[in-house]
Amino acid sequence: MATVANTNVITPEGILRDLNQWWKDLAQSEAEANPTPTDDPHPKTGGLLKACAMTFVVAAQSEVDARAAHETVGLLMHDHPSRAILLHPTQDPDLKATIFSECWQPFGKRQQICADGIEIAAGAKGFEEVSRFIVPLRVPDLPVVLWCRGSAPPETNAFHDLFGLADKIIFDSATTTDADEALRGLRRLHAYGYRVADLHWTRLTGWREAVAHVFDDGLKAADIRSARVTYGGDQMTTCARYFEAWVRTSLPTARVAIEPEIADHPGLYSLTLGTRSGDIVISLCKDNMLEITGEIGGVNRQYRTALPANAEDAMMREELGILGADPIYERVLNA
Amino acid sequence: MANANPFSDPLRFERRVPACAIVIFGASGDLAKRKLLPALYRLALDRFLPENFAIIGTSRTAMTDEEFRAKMRESVEKYSEDTSLDASLWSRFESNLHYVTGDLNDENLYTALGAKIAEIKHSSVLFYLSTQPSYYGPVVDAIGHAGLNKAPEGSGGWRRIIIEKPFGHDLESARALNKRVQSVFQEDETYRIDHYLGKETVQNILAFRFGNGIFEPLWNRRYVNHVQITAAESIGVEGRGAYYQEAGALRDMIQNHLLQVMATIAMEPPALFEAGAVRDERAKLLRSIRIMKPEDVPRFSVCGQYKGFRQEEGVNPETQTDTYAAATFYVDNWRWAGVPFYIRTGKKLPRRVTDIAIQYNTAPLALFGAGSGEPTARPNYLILRIQPEEGISMRFLSKEPGSGMRLRPVSMDFNYGTSFGNRSPSAYETLLADAMLGDATLYTRQDMVEASWKVIQPILDDWGARKFSFPNYEPGSWGPAEADAMLARTGRKWRNS
Repeated sequence: MATVANTNVITPEGILRDLNQWWKDLAQSEAEANPTPTDDPHPKTGGLLKACAMTFVVAAQSEVDARAAHETVGLLMHDHPSRAILLHPTQDPDLKATIFSECWQPFGKRQQICADGIEIAAGAKGFEEVSRFIVPLRVPDLPVVLWCRGSAPPETNAFHDLFGLADKIIFDSATTTDADEALRGLRRLHAYGYRVADLHWTRLTGWREAVAHVFDDGLKAADIRSARVTYGGDQMTTCARYFEAWVRTSLPTARVAIEPEIADHPGLYSLTLGTRSGDIVISLCKDNMLEITGEIGGVNRQYRTALPANAEDAMMREELGILGADPIYERVLNA
Repeated sequence: MANANPFSDPLRFERRVPACAIVIFGASGDLAKRKLLPALYRLALDRFLPENFAIIGTSRTAMTDEEFRAKMRESVEKYSEDTSLDASLWSRFESNLHYVTGDLNDENLYTALGAKIAEIKHSSVLFYLSTQPSYYGPVVDAIGHAGLNKAPEGSGGWRRIIIEKPFGHDLESARALNKRVQSVFQEDETYRIDHYLGKETVQNILAFRFGNGIFEPLWNRRYVNHVQITAAESIGVEGRGAYYQEAGALRDMIQNHLLQVMATIAMEPPALFEAGAVRDERAKLLRSIRIMKPEDVPRFSVCGQYKGFRQEEGVNPETQTDTYAAATFYVDNWRWAGVPFYIRTGKKLPRRVTDIAIQYNTAPLALFGAGSGEPTARPNYLILRIQPEEGISMRFLSKEPGSGMRLRPVSMDFNYGTSFGNRSPSAYETLLADAMLGDATLYTRQDMVEASWKVIQPILDDWGARKFSFPNYEPGSWGPAEADAMLARTGRKWRNS
């Protein structure tokens, strides 16, 4: 359940004051709606529980994009309750703020769990003040995650100040037309000491899991002599680059190649692992399934496994679950 | 176990169980129906199991593969608490379900099992003993005689065995069974299951203690006054009277589950979080528990039986079986010297609860005594709740709002269910997956089993030699009055809230 209220006060202190009042009102209306029965000898705990595990700053690219982001934030709250700060640009030069809360009731419980959020709309001038705004709105002592919806952050210096506040910065390079330039940009940020993530890497988890399972099933890394990664579409994607780098760094003694393939849709298409006893092929087939064929652990195998749907909230859930170092992604990014 | 898979990414996805088969002895029994099949199905749903993972069920009940599959489908539908049956997944899952009818004492059964394992072409096999405990020895012998305990040479496969509790009936029988099992399986192929150790909240004790910097410095005799471990059930024996009267509360709960919980609470931090190191510390703790002298047993233990137990179906009307057991244990090491660990378990108690309460020493000076509304300083409690409402609470005093200095106990709560939205795997899911992956961290080892029997044996000997005037507690009460007296002798009392 999401509820919103406009705040006319556009100073951080004013927003926090409005939030405090908002919480009090919410708790009072909850208590009035669900009074604890006085004759219950073992009353279950009711009331309102404020939950917060991080400050989650979302930088949307437009008002439309902000609405989609808001929906995703709502879906993420159950697993990653946080103070969400949703930023988006508008034509209006001034800053505008709206506070909101996301509440849910765990099955079979009377207690309602809520997390709060602030939506900030700003024109170009207002954006210059964004980082000044966000510093006091952060929840003390908790990590800050910045999600830049898009392959790159908006081109303003003020926005770049936000990077310094964030423990993790999440991009999505899916829409980039120049994979190598996008990766160079991410590498640069990483080299500056920022902890970056890319949802186009997260999209590979299903593929990577399927490949890892082939090795769990008995294939030995030492038996792999070559690996060939193919991708569909006219141009190289960051996804294909990541995957090739992941295979290359995981199999340092194998020859690894990456080639385009004539395929129905762009993106990663297949991985062929060459061994003495023949090839093991993992390839995309219809219905978002992967087909795995070849001799694995001494047995000829052919089976299919479904790839995850890669919904935005599922990918974000995965990324928000990793707030510390992500050594494999960092290795691949810098390979 | 070292992970040789260069593609693994434990931050993002789990290792998958390697291609293998599980042979369940006692497949038509309650445990298989209620716990094992639902757990295996859930592992398949979560994509932990490979496509060709096979289950071979065996029991005396004559059934075809199809009948077995239908029965198991029914079990999964009925007993999977938070998992609905996915028809397409089930059709793939059931195609790998097989059944072999046979008597556990008949060597032909093992020949037939060998043929079935060869037919499904799995070199790695996990045997699961879910039978009456009296069959454990004979089944292990027969597996050995049939040569099923060794994977074909050069196949790279493995053979392992999971043995359900109770592991022995007393110290002597546990040693004899260990010897018998070890003549067929190596210790690293033997997985003695104690499903309490697979519970998320029991595992969380380790995370709580060793993942945080603030608690461990207070985890010793200087600060801890005593520890209470309670495992209470509100139900009675519910049709299991015949089994239960052979076991009793002390054997059924304290010897295994609760001593393991106590070991987890009191063990030293391991140098590494890996099976050998964790189990070494648990074993060391169990060996440090003071063995009661015969003359101390009446003072440090309480035996109870609820009113009405003798009238339960299948129960001897004069039985001396304990449906309630409580004991005081001391750990003779530097960390815990002099700190009592009170453990109690029983049936027909007021409510179902399993928790661990660590009571801290009171503040050295009752600063707020007079006029504070509190007669003296109250102790702080740290409560680790295992079930239900899994979580952790800290009880402390706080000033009531308003004028004056009136103190009131308040609670700071962490609740597993509300803090983590995702589903916790059942203990059997965790433990079955671990055994297939070769991770024995949450399983008990021979020396741990023998150490816990050693702790219990003097109590068993004493209780076996005495005649109690049972029943001695009312259903719905917190057990016999002697249990309260046991604590009262040292000026303490049970937390009965």
